[in-house]
Amino acid sequence: MESQRLQLIACEVFTRELCAAVAGSSNQVDLKFLPKGLHSLGCQRMRSAIQDCIDAVPEGRYDAICLGFGLCNNGLAELRAGHTPLVMPRAHDCITLFLGSRQRYREQFDNNPGTYFLTSGWIERGDTDEQLQPLSVEHQTGLDLSYQDMVDKYGEDNAKFLYEQLNQTSNYGRYCYVEMGVEPDDRYQRETQRRADDKGWRCDTVRGDMDLLQRLLNGPWDDDFITVAPGQRIAASYDDRVVEAKP
Amino acid sequence: MADLDSLKEAVISGDANTAKAVTEAAVAEGIDVQVIVSDYLIPAMDEVGRRFEANEYFVPELLIGARAMKTSMAVLKPLLADSGVKPVAKVAIGTVKGDLHDIGKNLVASMLEGGGFEIVDLGVDVSPEQFIQSVQESGVAIICMSALLTTTMGSMKDTIQALNAAGLRDKVQVMIGGAPITQQYANEIGADGYSDNASAAVSCARKLAKVA
Repeated sequence: MESQRLQLIACEVFTRELCAAVAGSSNQVDLKFLPKGLHSLGCQRMRSAIQDCIDAVPEGRYDAICLGFGLCNNGLAELRAGHTPLVMPRAHDCITLFLGSRQRYREQFDNNPGTYFLTSGWIERGDTDEQLQPLSVEHQTGLDLSYQDMVDKYGEDNAKFLYEQLNQTSNYGRYCYVEMGVEPDDRYQRETQRRADDKGWRCDTVRGDMDLLQRLLNGPWDDDFITVAPGQRIAASYDDRVVEAKP
Repeated sequence: MADLDSLKEAVISGDANTAKAVTEAAVAEGIDVQVIVSDYLIPAMDEVGRRFEANEYFVPELLIGARAMKTSMAVLKPLLADSGVKPVAKVAIGTVKGDLHDIGKNLVASMLEGGGFEIVDLGVDVSPEQFIQSVQESGVAIICMSALLTTTMGSMKDTIQALNAAGLRDKVQVMIGGAPITQQYANEIGADGYSDNASAAVSCARKLAKVA
């Protein structure tokens, strides 16, 4: 079987998984990881950072550009294919890719609302991205202040109130570690348990599934993916298909 | 005499204690409740919103301003019924089914309350049926739906379809917002209003209530 040459542009949250998938792929894959912090910049900044990477890919060198992202709060919507086709999984966010299918994500989501998913990449990547942090939506709307910052700025009475109001996970009660089988040992699981104990949340581990990530690199690019031909763009479909290719 | 300008200033700067003290003094002196609300509190919150839109204020300032306003309103509440002050309109607000994120929803609710609306807060994970119930039982004029995730925003469409099916669509205005929501999506699902921030949500609701 003839091997294809692919450029992978992916979120660094998949570093361990995609490196393992590239190693086992029948295709020749070049890797480009982008900071996880893009996801905090709002959809326009995220989109333009990824579009810049797509536009920088040399013409004629690759059979396709594979995007290792979900729709990511519309950060992938409106991306345009230039000379080389784009391939993207139909996924709202990375958790679909870790769990291996849209159906499994939907089941997890519907059965366990209030779950914060963690993987090795979520634990070890992106927390202190000093260049991107000032651009993040949290920073620009004043949501990333520490308790002490709030006391200094608004007084102790208001700080207490704000600390409660601005807790983004106040309705969450469960951590779920998605074990992908590429981890060196159980360190991420233990870290998940530590965070759960800290917050008094439930802690579960579910087995992930490399299938979607492997198929992103190996094909077949069936109905779990969209292929965006040169000149077309990615659009949110606002239904179970998640995304579609549009002229 | 109670210094009502300092009440306005207290709301603008998010000083709930001063807002409460001045309101109590004003009430003790028998100052007209309607004057306190219409001439001081609502203009103060409008100023908070203006500063937010001019990037002088950020989300924390909106929240503490709304908190100071609510502290003052809590003092006035027992007197409001007799004073002839009517809410601009009654609004039901909630984060849609499957979605548990409520910072934005709470912020919009506070700003609307600060803008003189009566709020029915349906909380998070609100089903289309619950929104419908709010129209049938509480007589709300505007429904506000919030979603943080593309995974859950489809419930906004479901709710509008359910309002149609229940024959209630022409009895209520529908406003939507949240991180993944756009004006284009609002148009696509037939929502009446969209706002990308909590301050503009007040202007949007005033337009829909035909008081702007």
